Formats: sequence, structure tokens, C-alpha cells
Amino acid sequence: MSVKMEASAGKLSENTLMIYGIVVALVGTYLTYLNVVTGIAVFSFFGGIGAIAALWWGSDTIKHLCSYGLGTGVPSAGMVAFGAGAIAMIAGTKFGLASPIVTLVLAAIIGAVIGYCANNIINMNIPVMIFSLMKLSIVGALTMLGFAAMCTGTFMFNGLVIGGMTLSMEPAEVAAGGAQTFMVTVLPEFASSLIGGAALTVIFFLGAIALQHPFNACLGPNESQDRTLMLAIEVGFLSMFVVAVMSYAFLDITSATVGVVVSLIGWVYSYKQYIALSKRDAYAWLDAKPIMEVGGNE
Amino acid sequence: MEEIVLGIGITALAGAFATVAGAAEDTESDIGSQGDPNSQVQLAPQMGYIHRIFNKAISGEPPAYGAWCAIGAGVAWALMQVNFNPALAIILGSVIAVFVQGVYCTSGYLGRTASLAKFQQPVYIDIIKSLLSVTMAHAFVAIFCTVAMCHLMATALHHPFALPLLGLVWGIALGAAGSATGNPFYGKERQYQNQKFGAGVPISASGNIVRYAEAGQRSSLDNGWFTTKFAGPASGICFGLIVFLELWRTVLFEKMVAGWGAIIVGVILILIFTFIDRWIEVWGRKTYGPYTAAEEASS
Amino acid sequence: MSALGGAAAGGEGINPTGTLVGIVILLVSIAATYALGFSIIPLIGIIIGGAFVGFGVHFVPVGGAPAAMGQAPGIATGVAMLAAGAGLAGLFGGAWAFEATGDFAIAVAGGAVGGGLMMSITCMMVNATYVFAMGIPAASGKVAKDPITGDTFPEYKSQGTEGHGLPFISFFGGVIGGIVTGLGGTLIYLALLGIYETGLPVIMQAEPAAIQPLAISLAGIFAIGFFLVNAVLAAYNITGTIEGPHDPKFKRVPRAIIGCAVASAFCGFISMLIVLNTGM
Repeated sequence: MSVKMEASAGKLSENTLMIYGIVVALVGTYLTYLNVVTGIAVFSFFGGIGAIAALWWGSDTIKHLCSYGLGTGVPSAGMVAFGAGAIAMIAGTKFGLASPIVTLVLAAIIGAVIGYCANNIINMNIPVMIFSLMKLSIVGALTMLGFAAMCTGTFMFNGLVIGGMTLSMEPAEVAAGGAQTFMVTVLPEFASSLIGGAALTVIFFLGAIALQHPFNACLGPNESQDRTLMLAIEVGFLSMFVVAVMSYAFLDITSATVGVVVSLIGWVYSYKQYIALSKRDAYAWLDAKPIMEVGGNE
Repeated sequence: MEEIVLGIGITALAGAFATVAGAAEDTESDIGSQGDPNSQVQLAPQMGYIHRIFNKAISGEPPAYGAWCAIGAGVAWALMQVNFNPALAIILGSVIAVFVQGVYCTSGYLGRTASLAKFQQPVYIDIIKSLLSVTMAHAFVAIFCTVAMCHLMATALHHPFALPLLGLVWGIALGAAGSATGNPFYGKERQYQNQKFGAGVPISASGNIVRYAEAGQRSSLDNGWFTTKFAGPASGICFGLIVFLELWRTVLFEKMVAGWGAIIVGVILILIFTFIDRWIEVWGRKTYGPYTAAEEASS
Repeated sequence: MSALGGAAAGGEGINPTGTLVGIVILLVSIAATYALGFSIIPLIGIIIGGAFVGFGVHFVPVGGAPAAMGQAPGIATGVAMLAAGAGLAGLFGGAWAFEATGDFAIAVAGGAVGGGLMMSITCMMVNATYVFAMGIPAASGKVAKDPITGDTFPEYKSQGTEGHGLPFISFFGGVIGGIVTGLGGTLIYLALLGIYETGLPVIMQAEPAAIQPLAISLAGIFAIGFFLVNAVLAAYNITGTIEGPHDPKFKRVPRAIIGCAVASAFCGFISMLIVLNTGM
């Protein structure tokens, strides 16, 4: 009485997707460092491109994991990926310029531990469980890191927790942590930052629902890999659009608008492609027509 | 004293927002056929029953509404950081969240239906054209009310969590409450309207959902109308009670009995609802009676 | 969400090697935390909280897709997210109680009561829907008599179904599930909050009062992450649907508790790295 799911064999193999996904995600996140090098924040949107690559790869991994029959459905895989990925990502941003790579390693380790618990302690005995959960945790962590870099312009911890500076009249010894400038102390403000204002929650759940959507939405006997992957890209650009709107709180107007424009162009293109692919795959594309009975049923 | 009066007023307003949000959420999820009942809509073509239902496959309601409310709250928070008026920020946040929700609706329908090509289920584009705006409108009401309620909690009631985090927490709770209360009504009463009333759907009837309505062919809009007759308001009451009582017991009783006042009241409330539930259960058994004669069974 | 694909291939009973390796990972996490100079009490709190979350999820009666048609008892929502909804509502109450009173016991009890209240209202409305709107009395498919009230079920089950609605034992299970998951979630949140409130001012060199919003948000985001991981692990253990504490599947609880404890221990250790003074 359940939907029979077959993992379709697509043109792109799992390993190809993994290599492309990791490389583009890391490169995209590192390209946001150009913000620091050049002093302008226009390069933030590369983080979003990196996150989309991670989502693109992740949607295929979910497909392979869920075809084994977990009993709980597809969305849970997305939730666990981002739950583990969030922990890895925030811990990983503490390591300066090496943060993206450390995030990847931490996510892989956390994913392996959770996968081990699921497979060997909870006895699920699914061959690909540990490796799939490792990959999904990496996807979750890299997606969050990419979007966080796009939103704030940096992938390092201090940038994610300090939202702005306020001025205090107290001298530096009393106003702890401030830097004494002429007659006033500059204090960092935490409540208006990405993590301090909990805006990271939005990225967390945006990613979680975006990761599981492509496979969940294209579920069925006629699922085709190119359509699923195109939906992953479309959903990625849509998430990028939301993150770009949120970046108005952290970046200047020009950089944020660049992000909005890039994400909207990407979204429109991938959405049109997805509709075209759905039209190609559908049995019939009808407008205002009645039910076409298969014959002989009621 | 004044603070408590203000707190009660805000609590009542939050409860009202929650009730509206719950009703709108359940109606939206039935117009778009989301969540567990949707598995029947998915199954029907495989058993040979072609239909014209809006098969919106976006995951269950709790994660979906968690995401939309988190997006709404997050964008509203970001806009408030650049000094937008809170009301305008919440409206704009809800608009963007609804835009995202609408796109997910269309991609869910197209994806699932295209993947059922083997069973000759066509994609009916007019379903999207006529129903998308309806489902987005209901979602807007639900999201706006939830985000406004969270904003009240954060600013007027001084909850320590930031707005986006509150949005996520209450979005997931909204989806869970609405889904639990409304799904059986839609799944059994409407999808299987042709089965006997007063009994569950037998396993042999799976997939044989109602496709021809009272007049013409069943459209998801009819399902939305049906939902508003009971399941929508019931979900609204459920979520409204949850939010109102959670806030009420804290605002009024937090400082009493050395801090344990709110907990004692909470336990009393749980016991009250347990009694009500037991009364409902016994009433059902006595009034409806058994389906068959009780067996002479040893315990 | 429907149960997908082939039959879940999980075996029954506890896997001794897996459990042993898991306990080793747990002990290594505790040792590593101690070696880095942190207090291990918050980590113990996180481990217990994670175990509670995993334990509580098994109490919640979930019927899945069949419940939506009146074919199976339970609530017609997914296991992990329904438990998450209850636990997060509890976390909301617990965090607020801690902010208002600063008392650990009150906060944890507040979280538990918040989760239980949400589940009791939800379960009551589910029964109201079944009885008043659909005309279907509650009946369990797994036992013939309710362990608490003594109601008999076979004659109240409609033909061709496995039961429907929420019999009192399932309602009771739901409320207990809400209480335990709320308790676990709040425990995790308070443990993390303690770590960050003491550790962050040191490494960021800021006033504790100023750092508080950051500590609360960090602890909140992490608590949700921990919650989702533990709830999904427990959902994997249940493989989809469970009627409540009287369901035979409930006997699988021990391995879920161990699994969640191990996962929480390791993730807790990683979350401590944030207040590690790496000099960066």
C-alpha cells in the first residue's frame, strides 16, 4: 500500500556528483574571501552558488539512501542532515581561513558517528547508511556555510556573531572588550548578527526543506535524474533569493542587490527548465480537460 | 499589576492570532492535499483511479510550516534590523515566505504527477492555475498570524528567543497541531466520502478516492470548502488553546509559589484535558455502541 | 509522508558489538571534553537530555498514512516532526521559565509541562475529531483490552481496519511522550546555555550581559539541531508507526536510548569546540 520507489540510474554517477559538489561548494565559499581582499562585499553571492552545488549533490545522495526503505520517509533524511550539519558548521567556523575544510572534516566525522548509531546500535543494517549520512552531513554543513557566507560576507566565527558596533562613553577597561578610540569605546553588538539574532535558523530550515524536496517531489516510477537535479538547482536558487533578501540587514545595498539579481535570474532559468522537463516526462499535459479514465474503473 | 494586565491582553491577542493561523493552515493543507492523506492521492493512479486533485508533495505539514514561518520571521527580523516598521516588515516577510511556498507547491505537483506517467495520470495545468492563488492566500494568513504572534512574544512578553527562532518553533508546532487534528477528517470523511459513515476505511478500498463530486469532477477547492466546516476551526481551536494556555499559565502564575506556580497550573490543565478526553472517549463508546456483539473473551 | 520503498531490514534486539563501540565513543567524548579543560557536567546533561528525547519519541502514538483514513490508531503525522513539535513547544516554555526565574529545576519542569500540555490538547482534539465529526469510537489494534481503563476493543474496531482514534493508553502515551521530550530538549538547551554563558565572555572578551543574546541563540539553534538528530534516530528505530507504550514495538526502546545517548555525546563534544580558545 505504499509508493514503490526505484532509484533511477542517471547519467551522472554518485561519485561525479560528489566531486563536483564538494569542489564547487568549497571554491564558492572561499571566493567570498575576496570580500576581505578587495574591501567590498559584492562577492558574497559566490557563497550561495557553493551552497546550491552542495544541495544539488545532496539531493542525489538522499535518493540512494531512501531507496533502501527507511520506514520514515524522505524528509527525515533532510532533517538529520541539517541537524548534524548545523553543529559541524558553527564549530567549524572557528578555524580562520581553514574553516570550510575543517567544517567538511567535522561534518564527515559527525555523520559517520550518527550513521554508526543508526546502523549498528539501532540495527538498521543498511549497507550505505554510514557513508550516506557522512555525505548528507557534509552537504548540510557546506550548504549552511555557503549561505551564511553569502548573507554576511564572511565565513569566520567573528563575522557571524558580531552584528555591528555601538559606542559607549565608558573607558575601555570598564566597557570590556571594546577598543578605545577618541573619548568613546566601540563595543561589539551581538544581538543583531546572523547567529546572535538566530537568523541562522532560517538558513538551517531553508536548507533542510530544500534538500529533501527534489527527491520527495519527483518520487515515482518515472523519476528521472536530470529532472530531479534541475529541481535541486531551482530550489537552491529560490533559497538563495531568501538569503539575499535577508542579507540587506548585514551587507550594503549594492552587494545585497547583486545577490538578489543573481538569484532571481538563476531561479527563473532553472524553473523554466524544470517545467520543460516535467512537460517532457508527463503522460499528458492537459489544460481544463476532464478526467481521462484508464478504462473500466468505476 | 499593570504588567500582568498588559500581559493578559497580549496573551489573548496571541491566542486569537493562533486560532486564525491554525484554521488557515489546515484549510491550506487540504486544498493542496499535503501530508499523510496525500499518500492516498498518490496511490490512486497506481490502482487505476485517475483524478484531478492538487497532489502537492512537499513533505509533511510540520517541517513545511516550520520552514515558511521561519522564512517569514527571518525576513521580518532582517527588515526590522534596517529600521523597517514592524508591521510592514512582518507583511513583507510573509509575502516572501508565501512566494517560496507557492513555488514549492507547483514543483511538488509537477514532479509527482510527471513521475506517475507510467500509470497514465496526466498533468492538469488548470489545477495549478486555479488553485495556486487560493492555497497561497490561506498560507499567507497562517504565516502572517504566526509571525505576528511570535513578534508579540518577543517584544511585548519578553521571551528570550530571537524572532526567527520563535518562528521556527511555533511553525513546527502549528503544523503538528493542524496536521494531527485535520488529517483524519480530510482523509476519511472527504477522500473516502463514498465509504460508510461511522467506520474506518477498510484496507481493501485503498486508492479508491472520490473523484466525481456532487456535481462534476472533484476539485481540491471542494475539499477546502469541506475542511472549513469542521477540521479548519478544530485545528484553529487546538493551536489557539496551545498558544493561549502556554502563555497564560506563564504570564499569570510565573511568580507565584516561588516560581512553581506556572508548573502546578500546567499540570492541572493537563489533568483537565485528560478528563475531557476520557469523557469524549466514553461518550463515543456509549452513544455509538460496538460494531459487533462483544465476544465472550477471557482477558 | 508515506512509508517508502522495500521493507525495513532492521533486526530485532540489541547488537552487542555496535552497542559496545557506541559506549566507547561516548566515554571517549567525555574524556576528550575533560582533557580540553571543560567541566563534564554539561556534557552529562546533554547525554541525558538526548536519551530522554529518544525515549520520549517512542511514547507518542503515530499512525501515519493509515491513521488519516481511520485504518490505524494514532495521530496522522510523522513521528519525528510530531515529537519535535511537542518538544519545541516545551523548550519554548522551559527557556522562558529559566529567563524569568533562573532556577534550573523550575525551567526543566516548565519545559516538561509545556510539552505535555501541547500533546494533551492535540490528542484531545484528535479524539474530538474522530468521535464528533466522524462518528468513530477509539479502538486499539494491538491489544484487546486497554491496560489502564479496561475498555475492550475488538468489537469497537470497524471491519477491515487495524483500529482507529486514540484509546486512552495512546492518549496517556502521547502526554508522557510530550513531557519526556520537552524535558530532554530543555535539559539540552540549559546545558548548552551554561557552557556558552560562561565560555563565550572569556574568548570574546565581552560582558556576560552583552553576550547573553548570542548565548541564547546559539544554545537554541544547537538544541533544535540535537532535537532533530535524536528524534530522527528514534523514528528510524520505530520504522514509521507505533501505537504507544502498549505496542510491541515499544520493546525496542533500549537501543534507541543508547543510540541517542552516543550521538548526543559526540555532538555535545563538538559543540564545546566553539568555546575552545584556539586563539583565532
